[in-house]
Amino acid sequence: MKELIMKLSTPWKLAILAGLLGFFALIIGNPANKNVIDVNAKEMALATVKNQDRIDVMTLADWLIKENADYTLVDLRMEKEYGEYNIPTSVNIPIESLLNSDLMRNQKILLYGNDDVVAAQAWFILKSANYKAVYLLNGGMNAWKNEILFPKLDASATAEQTAAFEKAKQVSLHFGGTPQIVSGGTATTVAASPTATQALPKLTAPAGKVGGGAKKKKEGC
Amino acid sequence: MMPYFKFDYFSVDFSLVIAFVIGIAFGFVLERGGFGNARILAAQFYFSNMRVLKVMFTAIITAAIGLFYFTWIGWLDLSLVYTTDTFLIPQIIGGVFLGIGFIVGGYCPGTSFVSASTGRIDGMVYILGIFFGIFVFGEMFPLFENFFNSTPMGRVTLHEYFGLSHGLTLFLVVLMALGAFAAAEWGEKIMAKKNGRGAE
Repeated sequence: MKELIMKLSTPWKLAILAGLLGFFALIIGNPANKNVIDVNAKEMALATVKNQDRIDVMTLADWLIKENADYTLVDLRMEKEYGEYNIPTSVNIPIESLLNSDLMRNQKILLYGNDDVVAAQAWFILKSANYKAVYLLNGGMNAWKNEILFPKLDASATAEQTAAFEKAKQVSLHFGGTPQIVSGGTATTVAASPTATQALPKLTAPAGKVGGGAKKKKEGC
Repeated sequence: MMPYFKFDYFSVDFSLVIAFVIGIAFGFVLERGGFGNARILAAQFYFSNMRVLKVMFTAIITAAIGLFYFTWIGWLDLSLVYTTDTFLIPQIIGGVFLGIGFIVGGYCPGTSFVSASTGRIDGMVYILGIFFGIFVFGEMFPLFENFFNSTPMGRVTLHEYFGLSHGLTLFLVVLMALGAFAAAEWGEKIMAKKNGRGAE
C-alpha cells in the first residue's frame, strides 16, 4: 500500500485527494450554517406585548430575600462595572459571549444591564437561539439603585407613601442600601448606617466568575 | 468566524493592505505558473498546451472544497461571501468578447499585468488597450445600458439553481475537473504527435 502511494506522481495524489474530499462532501450534503436561526417572530412579538417577560426590581428583591433560586441572574455589564457592584447571586456574562456561556436552554434566565437596552438585545439573542425562559429586569441596574438601594421619600409624603417607604427601607437595608427622605432638595439619610453618602454597598463575596461554582452539565451532550 | 472583513476584524484601510499582499502573491504565482507568457496562454485555444484549463480548474476546485469544508466546520459564513449577480445573456456575450480578446492578444486582463510587470512590451500594450476599451465602453454605455441590465437573475449558485445539495454539486464539479484534467493530458499528447513536438 505504502509503495503504491509512493509510486503515484504528485498530480495523481492531488487528484485522488480532491476526489475523496468531493466524495465526502457528497455524503455531508448541506453544511448547515450554525449562525442562521429560524425565529418565530409572532410568538416573540406576543411575548413582548403581554409584558410577561419583565420582572420588577421589587419582585427580584423579594426573591433574593426569600432565597428563591430557581433562576440564574445574569449581569450583562462590563467586567469592571460588575466588579464594583452587582446584584447578589448574579453572574457576569458580557453580551458577546452570551451564546458561548454555560446557560442552558431550559433554565430560567433573568437579564440585566445598566438600563433596559442591552438586556433587551440579549433577550432577543437568547430567544432567537431558542432559550425557553428568558426574562428582563425592568429598568436594569438603574432601577435597582433607585428603588432598592437608595429609595427616596418626599418629606411631604402622604401616609400611604410613608407606609410603602417603610417596607422599601427594610428591603434597602437588607441589601446594604441607604434609604433617604428628601425635603426641599436636600436628602437626609434615615438609615442606621453611619455613612451619609450614597455609597454602593461593599461586595461581601469576591465578584463571581462566569459560570462560577460547580459547572452544570451542558444540555444535549 | 470568516469572512473576517465582514465581521469587522479589521478596518477598510487595513483591508487594502491585505488586498495588496494577496495581490502580490497572486501575481507572483501566476508568473511562476507561466501565465506571463502570451504563447502559453494562447496555446490553450489551439489545444496544444492545456495549462490554463488545468490551473483554472485546480483553483476552482481548491476554493470550492475549502469553502465547503470551512462552512461545514463552522469557520465561515458562506452567505456573507460576495457573489457577483448573474445577468445571463450579457455575461455570455461579454465572455465571448473576452475570449476573442484572449486569443488575439494572448492575455486576459489579469495576466496582462503579470506580463507587463516582467517587462514584456506586448503586455504593456495590452494594458493600454484595456484602458482604452474601458474608456470607449464608458462613453458608449448609455447606448446599451438596457442590454447590460437584461436577464437579471440575482445571486445564483449552481446548487440553488438546480435544487441539488451543496455537497452533490461540489462532487460533480470535482468529477468534471478530474475528467477535464485527464482529457487535457490526453489531448496534449495527441496534439504533440500531430505537431511533431512535445507540449511546452
